[in-house]
Amino acid sequence: MTNSFASTDSVKSALSAQKYIASDEIATIVYLAQKLEKPLLTEGPAGVGKTELAKAIAGATGRELIRLQCYEGLDESKALYEWEYSKQLLYTQLLRDKLNDTLGKADSLAEAADRLANEEDVFFSDRFLLQRPLLRAILCDAPTVLLIDEIDRADAEFEAFLLEVLSDFQVSVPELGTLTAAHKPFVVLTSNNTRELSEALKRRCLYLFIDYPSLEEELAVVRLKVPELNPKLARQAVEFVQKLRKTDMRKSPSISETLDWANALVSLNAKNIDKETLEDTISVLLKHEADLQKAKRQIINPPPPPTIPPRQRPDEFGKFSGN
Amino acid sequence: MESRILQLISALRASGVRVSLAESSEAFSAVDLMGIQDREHFRLSLRSTLIKDVRDLPVFDKLFPLFFGMGQPPMMGGSPMDNLTPEEAQMLADAIRQYTEQLRQRMERLMNGEPLTKSELEALAQMVGLNQMDDLRYQNWMAQRMMRALAFPEVQEALRELMEQLQQMGMNKERVEQLRGLVQQNLQGMQQQINQFAGQRIAENLSEQNPNQNLDGLMNRPFNALSDADKKLLQREVKRLAAMLRTRIALRQKHAKSGQLDPKATIRANLKYQGVPMEIKHRDRVHKPKLVVICDISTSMRFCSELMLSFLFALQGQVRKTNAFAFIDHLEYISDEFNGSNADEAIASVLWRMPSGYYNTDLGWSLNDFNNEYMDTLNGQTTLILVGDGRNNYNDPRIDLFTTMSRRAARTLWLNPEPPYLWHGDSDMPKYAPLCNNVLKVSNLKELAEAVDQLLAG
Repeated sequence: MTNSFASTDSVKSALSAQKYIASDEIATIVYLAQKLEKPLLTEGPAGVGKTELAKAIAGATGRELIRLQCYEGLDESKALYEWEYSKQLLYTQLLRDKLNDTLGKADSLAEAADRLANEEDVFFSDRFLLQRPLLRAILCDAPTVLLIDEIDRADAEFEAFLLEVLSDFQVSVPELGTLTAAHKPFVVLTSNNTRELSEALKRRCLYLFIDYPSLEEELAVVRLKVPELNPKLARQAVEFVQKLRKTDMRKSPSISETLDWANALVSLNAKNIDKETLEDTISVLLKHEADLQKAKRQIINPPPPPTIPPRQRPDEFGKFSGN
Repeated sequence: MESRILQLISALRASGVRVSLAESSEAFSAVDLMGIQDREHFRLSLRSTLIKDVRDLPVFDKLFPLFFGMGQPPMMGGSPMDNLTPEEAQMLADAIRQYTEQLRQRMERLMNGEPLTKSELEALAQMVGLNQMDDLRYQNWMAQRMMRALAFPEVQEALRELMEQLQQMGMNKERVEQLRGLVQQNLQGMQQQINQFAGQRIAENLSEQNPNQNLDGLMNRPFNALSDADKKLLQREVKRLAAMLRTRIALRQKHAKSGQLDPKATIRANLKYQGVPMEIKHRDRVHKPKLVVICDISTSMRFCSELMLSFLFALQGQVRKTNAFAFIDHLEYISDEFNGSNADEAIASVLWRMPSGYYNTDLGWSLNDFNNEYMDTLNGQTTLILVGDGRNNYNDPRIDLFTTMSRRAARTLWLNPEPPYLWHGDSDMPKYAPLCNNVLKVSNLKELAEAVDQLLAG
């Protein structure tokens, strides 16, 4: 357990100890991100292990993982800090006698105000500061891994707000001044690419695109995470999933679905991937009704070889004529 | 090395990838860190710092090997001449004598396994005009031209003849096969060398080009002067446009702050005043745009209907409340198709479902269809957009219906690829135009972008 990686190979071995199989590409870029102290922006289809990567990095370096899940309408008070008003009020109520003691002895109003001003720090201190993930990552005594999950779901304004945090690792709290990180956190941002991120944000990050894995890689993941599944069956299962990915689906099955399916096969005690098992379990892989129907039609019950005549193009005639 | 990296960066920029100064300096520090001994590490350090978009990855993967190639491809066959016996060599010399000087030289080179020299390649490049090329799509074509300039087909033919002849002259059959195999490998090596050279040269030319000149040119080119490849490029640009649009919508929505009282936010904001409501918070009135788009895909519009439809597709992805219709002689609802994931497929299926005919555009009838079935999609918050040239084949324009529609909608926009001075003949534009809030000429992508701005302004 160290706080940082020494080389790309050590990244790889440390991550695999966390049951995360990193390709050379992932290992190299993670190592680079750590050395350059840059946030890492990972993109790719849902369920290929982007979030898992951040968890594995945290596990491998022994750092605390601080997670900020983004959603539409996320704002500063939920991401950075908030004053705990109710606690402040409660304290003022309970400390009323003490306050009276302090202020009561004052001769004039001005003096009382001065004395109160001296005590002001009590009410705007860390005690009443409710730390949200970003501030926690910055103020933490030990280095941390900050995971900003699904940044594409947050609004454009929030993205702009993140810029200060990401480039300088500091935040401004008006009552306390600027807080700078003692230890720069390792920042991992994930995005499902549902919208274009701003150029400014991208510029500050290193970019890692994680795609669906190849057959061998996926098989390795399945073998690692679901060791109970027998090797032959695992290969069949992965081959089937890879075949599904090639057909055009609304939502292609990703690694997490493959793993769910592998677990399902284990608990159903399947001996073979035959038609029946498939029909029973395919809903684990495909989450859209249309996809299910399509898979059933095309793969599980393939139609007889086509004898359809080549498509005719009725617009061929109209193509070069007037309106 | 550094200048090579810079060349790569400017070639990337010329191919439409946005690389900022900060990113390129980042790339240098990454390279410093990772070293250049390991080619894969080197590639990844450049890629992760320079490329920030999935769609740009293929561009990088294509350009990188051109700038940091594996060196010259080896002549795999070695030099087959060396291991011939003296008699065989004599036979070969006799057989080869019948060819012209030039052909003979080339054949001998292949036999000896000599690659082309730098100056020979330069001369070839000069001859086929490679130095003016700055588009990687022409790499294969250029390589082919260079090979033709080297008389490759003739050399190949002559080699085949030569081998036959050697066999007739009594050389061992296996030996001939072996010789043929080796020469063939040398030939392939030379082809690779030429192909690689052509790619490198084009990439270098690309890096000297001004960035984005290409795209700017496209932005201004009229829709009917676009090749299929250009359309692909533009479709990408259209998607970017739509993504920008969403961000802009989000920003503009925030400005509309005059909604109801928000009790939750008010209590929260006033806790610091002991619950005395000093600051009143209002709920943001979300000004969600609603669109009804009616798109002409008849023959006169076909040249741009694909692009317009892909714009519609992108729009529907961004503005949730979009109802899209297409018409030729009657109206059809196409939003269902557009809810799928694949733009190309959706567009193809619409164009397939509604084949264009012969002088059959009828906007009047289509408006009638709209009136009968979809009038409820129009209300005070809807922006009605018509895309078309308003050429109606002298059918009844049904101005009455259009008047009702434009009254019901909050705004009516018309995007027309034709400028006003062409509105005559069967064009009903002069009749429709006064009923619209705005008629915009959209004949290239730049104008489309401006139209989108207009669309969101209100």
